[in-house]
Amino acid sequence: MKRLTTLPRNNWQTAVEDLGFGFHTTNVPYWDESVYYEMEMSEVLLIEKATAELWDLSLGAVQHVIDNNLYQKFGIPDWFIPQIEKSWTEDHPAIYGRFDLCFKNGEIKMLEFNADTPTSLYEAGIVQWFWLQDFDKSKDQFNSVHEKLIAYWKYLKTYLNPGILHFTCLKETLEDLTNVEYMRDCAIQAGLETKLIFIDDLGWDSDTKQFLDLEGEPVKNIFKLYPWEWLLTEEFGKNIIEDSNRAFWIEPAWKMILSNKAILPILWKLYPDCPYLLAAYFEEGKLTNYVKKPLLSREGANIDLVMKDISLQKTEGIYGAEGFIYQDMFTLPNYSDHYPVIGSWIIGQEPAGMGIREADTFVTDNQSRFVPHLIS
Amino acid sequence: MGMKKSKYVELVLITAALASCNQPKPKADWDDNNKVHLRSDTTAPYTRVHHNGGMGIGTALLWFYAFRPYGNYRNDNYQRAGYYSGGISPMSNIGSNGFKGSLTRGGFGRGGYSVSS
Repeated sequence: MKRLTTLPRNNWQTAVEDLGFGFHTTNVPYWDESVYYEMEMSEVLLIEKATAELWDLSLGAVQHVIDNNLYQKFGIPDWFIPQIEKSWTEDHPAIYGRFDLCFKNGEIKMLEFNADTPTSLYEAGIVQWFWLQDFDKSKDQFNSVHEKLIAYWKYLKTYLNPGILHFTCLKETLEDLTNVEYMRDCAIQAGLETKLIFIDDLGWDSDTKQFLDLEGEPVKNIFKLYPWEWLLTEEFGKNIIEDSNRAFWIEPAWKMILSNKAILPILWKLYPDCPYLLAAYFEEGKLTNYVKKPLLSREGANIDLVMKDISLQKTEGIYGAEGFIYQDMFTLPNYSDHYPVIGSWIIGQEPAGMGIREADTFVTDNQSRFVPHLIS
Repeated sequence: MGMKKSKYVELVLITAALASCNQPKPKADWDDNNKVHLRSDTTAPYTRVHHNGGMGIGTALLWFYAFRPYGNYRNDNYQRAGYYSGGISPMSNIGSNGFKGSLTRGGFGRGGYSVSS
């Protein structure tokens, strides 16, 4: 894995905007093609293998949480447990997830699993692919995101409730909308009937006990780029279990278990021999150098890096009330003071490609930049 | 080997339309003490609106609280039921307007500005 600098395309802003990628620059550039990473095929194969294995272990860990009724460790409310278990035992449709991996000196360690609302799908699947077409068509990329999404939506089609598949996210965030519209694009290409509705426009009919879209059509299947923990604490949360349509929510409720950092100590307890896992505990004091993470933090908020009782870096944020876990410190590799984290996609049941985000510190936050890669 | 990319990638949605949108950002200097009361139906009570981190009037806020028409298709005819806003309390969207009946909106979506993770 090498970090190489290069000249951005002359018209890169227009080039990526033509692909529908409108959030490439906020107050800091997000999409950065002045840099790319060159991966060797053997490295890509290693990432692919680790991703497949981590996915298998993750499923085993979900079963363990359910069998041993460990929901309390995740801060999951009791009233929602039956819904989680139903979605698991009935195998409700799920489509994707993204492992955040640290790849250093030939070793791969999982930092966390974004199993419920992973983003940067469009950058990984489309934007960096078209960059490669302009940059060097003869090269390949670890990237089958697009065709795997279409193929898996085709496969899921028969498992969905008859009717429309709604797609939803928050209003007012172009990044989320782009991710959702991209996902919907793939579903359309898979032959599904779809509709977009913003999450705050969803209606609830208390007589018929169903969710309705803006035209009054009942919601039977809904892909949400909106975390379960937010849904459950909101006014309509409890309606989900009263829903007369028994709508499929994608990602399904059991993904709440995997997207919660409490899964990290559980994975470690179950699979201490797995080379891709870092030691992790619910209790403080078992590790000398560790990263303290809130159960539900997003975008690197409220992370505390501690080495021998001294805090090296601490980020601010609004998370932590729900509790913390302690994970062995395995710092990101340093490439000229840039720290890349690998987002490795699982689509359906298979590894599907990767995207690299680069930060200027050990914590990958919302100031990090997405940079493309190619296979040498 | 699962990584070889097909040579033809097509998008069917006009995603370029997205690119022309600006992403409004919450203003950091919103005044916490502004009290704003809104309702979407003249038969409904006003309620105080709440917002993460404070309140204020700005483009982002107006967009967030945009009042949108909604209605139903009955016998192939579209009937407007009224207006609602996802940004205010469901109570203030209903009122005694019978056509709106048992339907409420705005019960989801107060989570924040982006889920990105």
